[in-house]
Amino acid sequence: MISNLPQDFSPILVQFLLALGFVIFTIIITHVLGPRLKSKQKEDPFECGIESEGDARTPLSVRYFLIAILFVLFDVEIIFMYPWAVNFKSLGWFGFIEMLTFVAFLMAGFYYIVKKGVLDWERD
Amino acid sequence: MYPIISLSVTGLLTLFLGFSENKKIVFPASIAFLLIALATAFIDWNAPGFYFNDMLQVNNTSIVFWAILIISAILIMGFSEGFERFEFAQPAEYFAIVQFSLVGAIMMVSFKNLIMLFLGIEILSVAMYVLTGADKRNIRGNEAALKYFLMGAFATGILLFGMAMFYGATGTFNIGSGVFIGGDNSFFLWIGCTFMLIGMLFKVAAAPFHLWTPDVYEGAPTIFTAYMSTIVKTAGFVALFKVLSTTFSGLQDFWWIMIAVLVTLSLMIGNIGAVSQNSFKRLMAYSSISHAGFMLLALLGDHENALGSIMFYSVVYTLATISAFGVLMVVSKERIEKGRVYEQNDLFKGLAQNNGFLATVLIIAMLSLAGIPLTGGFWGKFFVFRDAASSGLFWVIIMAVLMSAIAIYYYFKPVLLSMSKKTSLESITINPLAKFIFAITTFGTIVLGIFPWILRSLF
Repeated sequence: MISNLPQDFSPILVQFLLALGFVIFTIIITHVLGPRLKSKQKEDPFECGIESEGDARTPLSVRYFLIAILFVLFDVEIIFMYPWAVNFKSLGWFGFIEMLTFVAFLMAGFYYIVKKGVLDWERD
Repeated sequence: MYPIISLSVTGLLTLFLGFSENKKIVFPASIAFLLIALATAFIDWNAPGFYFNDMLQVNNTSIVFWAILIISAILIMGFSEGFERFEFAQPAEYFAIVQFSLVGAIMMVSFKNLIMLFLGIEILSVAMYVLTGADKRNIRGNEAALKYFLMGAFATGILLFGMAMFYGATGTFNIGSGVFIGGDNSFFLWIGCTFMLIGMLFKVAAAPFHLWTPDVYEGAPTIFTAYMSTIVKTAGFVALFKVLSTTFSGLQDFWWIMIAVLVTLSLMIGNIGAVSQNSFKRLMAYSSISHAGFMLLALLGDHENALGSIMFYSVVYTLATISAFGVLMVVSKERIEKGRVYEQNDLFKGLAQNNGFLATVLIIAMLSLAGIPLTGGFWGKFFVFRDAASSGLFWVIIMAVLMSAIAIYYYFKPVLLSMSKKTSLESITINPLAKFIFAITTFGTIVLGIFPWILRSLF
């Protein structure tokens, strides 16, 4: 029996308050407990390794973003494949054909961007 | 249901056609694909049914809307000339995105489940964000696309939040399944109703969710502005109608006042805002806000008639808008300033002397948008006023009539400019396909103005 009175949503509120409380608690407690040492080196974004140089807002090649987007494609594919794999037996041939259709559409898109030259780093 | 499958597959095919040696093939192929989709739409004629686990409802009404959407897309794409004039164009991608966006629009007019509505709105919107920025090197286009995307993403978030509230209150995403209204959960239902309305009214550019409209309409390439103002509006209003007339019909006492206020605001902001616009596209953007107000009027009345009125209004609005933007496209490409096409109102100066055919098309489109008798626009307004009158909301109607009087002023600005003696243009070339489309839209506007029952009797 699904009941959906306002009080049935109270666990969500409790969870929200808990999450908020945890964040506030951590922020305050690190300020109170943590030892403080301030120096120029400490303020650097990276304390060790190569010294940082220039501005963070230099233009990057768009290819990095394209690769990132390409990753999302496979990420989404995997997300759909896990539940399918778990229910593989009960879904049977119907599930298999549905999955094939899904992968076919996905691969069509993948083939398209490869042909467009997304993985081609040398081009112009 | 078949056009969804057909358009998804042909959309992919169109993408790959872009790799072929012969670039000219993409345009005729896309039109052929759209015609195939139109043909497949009628497979389900007189065979109503439910698809995808009862998430889509197909009946003759939805098929009529599919046909309207696909035909509008064909008419608009006819002006593209294969995007040969576009710099850095990717015609195959534009045509593919148009086909994919139609899938979204089709889902919006035939959903039975809020998940499908959300999916449809998203497919259509994402395609629109991309097409708005289609002219990659135009800084105004980029600005418009970014603005549209950010605002649209927030509107979608609000819509989704409303759906979640609706689900919390009713325990179902299905619309029209005898939702229990009242009791303790009605509070959540109110929130859900309000937020879903906000999300959808943003998409149809009703005030006060209209702020993106002028900038986006101006920045986007004209052909996609035409697409945006016709397809998105038609699909959006059908979706609004479906939600309000089924699930939320029991809440009418709650939402009618919101809609009435929105109608008044849209009409005032749209019509008064349009008066001082110099850019023709901004003028059309404000006019589209005011037309959103007129179409919302239909929702205030009796739901038996409302869908017919919305259908009629969206058809006449679509025909007139395609004519107006089409004339702008044909004329503006003759006058390039600073590397961009010139799109101010005074572009039309002396058009009647220069090219009588284009001037006639423009004048009839403007008359129809203003709602002058013997054009379709008059009957469109008449039907929505009659709907609103049936529920006795006379203050809204008086407001609407006053505002359509203001509308005549700014719709006549391009008309009067086109009548003036001085011409600023060389001779204008129209290709035969554009001429054919102008003939269809103008003829349609006049036929619907004289025999409105041709279309009304469909419902």
